[in-house]
Amino acid sequence: MTKRIFRSILTVTLTVLVASLVLIVGVLHGYFQDRVLEELARSTAYIARGVEENGMAYLNDDLPKSSRITWVASDGTVLYDNWEDEASMGNHADREEVQEALMLGRGSASRYSDTLSQKTVYYALRLSDGSVLRTSDTNYSVWMMVLQALQPVALMTVLAFCLALWLAGRVARQLVEPINAIDPSAPSEDVYEELSPLLTKIRSQNRQIQRQLLDLQQRREEFTAITENMSEGLLVIDQETRILSYNSAALRLLGAKAPVEEGESVLTLDREAGFRRCVEEALAGRRCEELLERDDDCRRVMANPVEQEGKLAGAVLIVLDVTEKEQRDRLRREFTANVSHELKTPLTSILGTAEILENGMVKPGDVAHFAGNIHREAQRLIGLVNDIIKLSRLDEGGPAAQWESVDLYGQARSILDQLSTAAEKKQVTMTLSGTSACVRGVPQIVEEILYNLCDNAVAYNRPGGTVSVTVEDTAEGARVTVADSGIGIPPEAQNRVFERFYRVDKSHPSGGTGLGLSIVKHGAAYLGAQVTLHSEPGKGSTFVLQFPKYVP
Amino acid sequence: MRNTFNEQLERLHVELIQMGATCEDAISAAAEALLKHDQTLAATAEEAERELDRKEREVENLCLKLLLQQQPVARDLREISAALKMISDLERIGDQAADIAELTRFVQVPEGTGAPHIADMARAVIAMVTDSVDSFVKRDLDLARAVCKADDKVDALFQQVKEELIALISADAANGEQGLELMMVAKYLERIGDHATNVAEWVEYSITGVHPSNN
Repeated sequence: MTKRIFRSILTVTLTVLVASLVLIVGVLHGYFQDRVLEELARSTAYIARGVEENGMAYLNDDLPKSSRITWVASDGTVLYDNWEDEASMGNHADREEVQEALMLGRGSASRYSDTLSQKTVYYALRLSDGSVLRTSDTNYSVWMMVLQALQPVALMTVLAFCLALWLAGRVARQLVEPINAIDPSAPSEDVYEELSPLLTKIRSQNRQIQRQLLDLQQRREEFTAITENMSEGLLVIDQETRILSYNSAALRLLGAKAPVEEGESVLTLDREAGFRRCVEEALAGRRCEELLERDDDCRRVMANPVEQEGKLAGAVLIVLDVTEKEQRDRLRREFTANVSHELKTPLTSILGTAEILENGMVKPGDVAHFAGNIHREAQRLIGLVNDIIKLSRLDEGGPAAQWESVDLYGQARSILDQLSTAAEKKQVTMTLSGTSACVRGVPQIVEEILYNLCDNAVAYNRPGGTVSVTVEDTAEGARVTVADSGIGIPPEAQNRVFERFYRVDKSHPSGGTGLGLSIVKHGAAYLGAQVTLHSEPGKGSTFVLQFPKYVP
Repeated sequence: MRNTFNEQLERLHVELIQMGATCEDAISAAAEALLKHDQTLAATAEEAERELDRKEREVENLCLKLLLQQQPVARDLREISAALKMISDLERIGDQAADIAELTRFVQVPEGTGAPHIADMARAVIAMVTDSVDSFVKRDLDLARAVCKADDKVDALFQQVKEELIALISADAANGEQGLELMMVAKYLERIGDHATNVAEWVEYSITGVHPSNN
């Protein structure tokens, strides 16, 4: 804009300058011509008087030779010329100025000589005797005049040009400065009046943008707050796999760091084959679901294409933590397989024995032994089914039994009594120590837990070993400790003994169902108690059952 | 104009990540095929190798287009030229993974001697490839340098495997071919380690502007 204004001003100035120069030269030229003619007329009149009085003698006197003087007789013969030989000159009667003077008493003419680029001005006067006196003077042409005046004119023009340059620059800057000084974010009023509609518009648009930005920010914050509180990972990507939005759950579930740069590709977070397939499929417009398994973690990724006006705009990816679900599924599958197997073993045995008996292949003396077998296996089967029923009840939220105050010490005492026969058989000494401690719970479940702990302590003991049960009432709540001096549990199995049907030594079935500790775990969880295990192979195991504080 | 350029650069980045990931797939499938003797995995590795060949050409075209049309300078130029070098290394890794996969049809890692170390080598090499791709994805200079160091470990393992295989062949000359095939596998793994190192070096170059071999 500055440049444009500068150029305009400069053009105008220069045009005016050139035009005035041309005009001045034109005017001056006319004026000059008039002056020359006037001068010529005066000197002609002066010389004419001299010639009238003194005749040729006057002309032969030392007249200045600066201007040409010609005396022409009335018939056109040249009588005198002070520049050239009059004899060689032709008849001058046909000259314009001479004819005019002969007719009107005076005459003037000007003729242009191309060769000299000079203009000659003539002035003729008729004398009283009818002859004509003519003087002439060369009048330099306009171009000669301009040429002569070129140096000062050029100097002047250059000066004027410089002045015009400086002024134009200054003026242009001054004009534009207030416009430049306008702050687009907060335009002030005191600029040019012509700009005020524009500025008002800018101001109102600024306000609108501000409002919309604020609105947008608020909405984004809301969106972030919502997505941040999701436990599912959420990723929104565009067609080029750039991340448009993500929440921290997504990063956590994918085990990725926050993207470093804006518009980073989602593949920088995870590039596992399954994840990539999801992204590709979704961006191809198809819904896709994949399971990502990494170490012990299990994630489900669901990718949905997002369409906008019938065109694919991107995709939404949801990442779910399905570790627990997968684990549960696995446990359920294992449980079903295990249950079938565990139930089948005694049944096969019963079936086989029964067949032998049926076919009469058994000596009468051995019948009792075979029947004993059937009895034992059937008992084991019942025990197993009972355990499974208990477990499934606990799974479903426990039996609808009454919660009441249970004395742990009394319970422990009766259980040790129940187990005394089995303990004697294995030559294990059982001791009970501590004080009476009451907890709030379901008596059957408490009994189940304690029975299973003590039963295990006896069953997995060595001959001559001990089982000591301690009941305490501590500040944190009642606590039962069942310690044995048995075979112990190896460290790698300690986490797994609470699983259903898990047995440390799979090759030597101990007669248990493999569900005892599972019942302990689920029962304790039902009652809000915690079971901890300390064990050293070869030395024995200690189970601590910690109940929550109960104020009766 | 610049926007198009940035978009294309980003596309290059994504393509390279995909290529790196495919490369990881190829080598882990090949290693698993070797250790578990699983022919379907071997086929997966070979499929990944073909995919890598396609990708290499694609990325190469993209790089050349970027170089010719955008005439990048400084960091962008480094990134593109590094990408051009990296893809050939990644493609070579894919080739070698496919070679290993092919060998799994004839060779079985013997129980006992040698086996653990070849498995170790495979694991170390997979980790190197993963880390080198990771260092590129996250523009992580430290990780790239760590990859270069890890190559020494792979070289040492290669030496160990070689000695064990010599012992194996001399003990059971009739089964010498197995030993030789395993030697090939070990050599391929060692080469993959070298290519992973190259990739990591180019990552370092694209970040710092100095190729580590110039130091």
